Amino acid sequence: MSLAPPEVLPRPELAARAPALALAAVGPIAIGGILALQASSPTPLVAVPAVVFGVVAATAPALYIATATAGSAPSLAAVVRAFGVALGAFGIALAGLLLPAAFLSLSSVAPSTTFLVATAALGGAGALAMRRLARELDPKAMKPSLTSGAVFLVWSVATLGIAGRLWWDLAGEVMS
Amino acid sequence: MIGAMEVPAPTLGLVDQLLRDRDAMLARIAAGRDLAAVTRAMVATIAIAMAIVGAALGSYRGGVQIGYAAIKLPLVLLGTAALSAPALTAIGASLGRRPRLTADLALVVTALAFGALMLAACTPLILLARAMDLSYHRMILGTVAIFALAGVASLRMIIHALSAETGPGRGSAVIGLCIVFALVGGQLSWALRPYLVRPRAETVVFVREVEGSLFDAIGGAMRSARGIYERDRAPLPGED
Repeated sequence: MSLAPPEVLPRPELAARAPALALAAVGPIAIGGILALQASSPTPLVAVPAVVFGVVAATAPALYIATATAGSAPSLAAVVRAFGVALGAFGIALAGLLLPAAFLSLSSVAPSTTFLVATAALGGAGALAMRRLARELDPKAMKPSLTSGAVFLVWSVATLGIAGRLWWDLAGEVMS
Repeated sequence: MIGAMEVPAPTLGLVDQLLRDRDAMLARIAAGRDLAAVTRAMVATIAIAMAIVGAALGSYRGGVQIGYAAIKLPLVLLGTAALSAPALTAIGASLGRRPRLTADLALVVTALAFGALMLAACTPLILLARAMDLSYHRMILGTVAIFALAGVASLRMIIHALSAETGPGRGSAVIGLCIVFALVGGQLSWALRPYLVRPRAETVVFVREVEGSLFDAIGGAMRSARGIYERDRAPLPGED
């Protein structure tokens, strides 16, 4: 009898999602690079990925706990898989927005433009990832209900709020 | 056997199909047929059509400005397409749409080529306005109007193409493309200005110095409109 835990992402699926997850890892560093160029400081190269992944790591368990308590959570494996898909979606969306963001930032002399452009790119990719996460969690495992919808909404607002506050503080520090 | 062979579509044939039968052109792109040939033909169409439009706009001042505007306008449209098309693919793919970067690039340049051809068709109107010595500000308003018309026609073509698809992510991809396209296109055209220069201008430059983005300028104009000025008075000619 095997006591090995069930695979949360089957190997073929993990391999298929690897490029998207790699983009998710590299994208925030690239956005940090754009900010670092404008601010002439290397801090954003580390700080931007730290904000993105730190906030996701800190808030993701709360979504599972809250939905499970509300009686509508899918299995842990399904939640981890959904987060993997959403992170991949974040990476792909950010990859598509990087070129326009870099152009808009580098063709302007105002630091505020760089901040706005970086915020829009990260915020847009984050919003798309949230939408994908909601869809990945909803259709199969989670019973659609008012409670689960409300839990997801509160979690999204809290996550975006925390990330927004940390982002604002970072921008204030490096742009001043 | 011979009938099954793929025959590359000639460039002029593709342009003719774009003007006469856009549904067939969109079906060709959706099926992934001749994507490289379509993209090449449409890039050439944009380059030539926008060079004609640029030359017509430059003729308002005349001289070297005709050449400057003829070089810059194709760069604006092609640069905007190159920077924006990946956003259409990426935003759609992040929501589950099938990623098709080559087909999306072909679709974007095809739609822009249609807009560029519409602008080229308006060239006689620009030359007529020049012949009538239309005032500078009226000329600008007229130019904005025909560019807006061409932009709407291009956008309509992209929406029509994506509405034929099934599956998630289409709507968000179109909205994302519109936002990215407007921002990048606005900033690129701002960075490469001027295109339309007053006839009495003694000298012209290829591009102005980087002095902030379009959005900084809009912000400054809004502050000025509310009576908040950053200078005590407007500069006189020859002053910085």
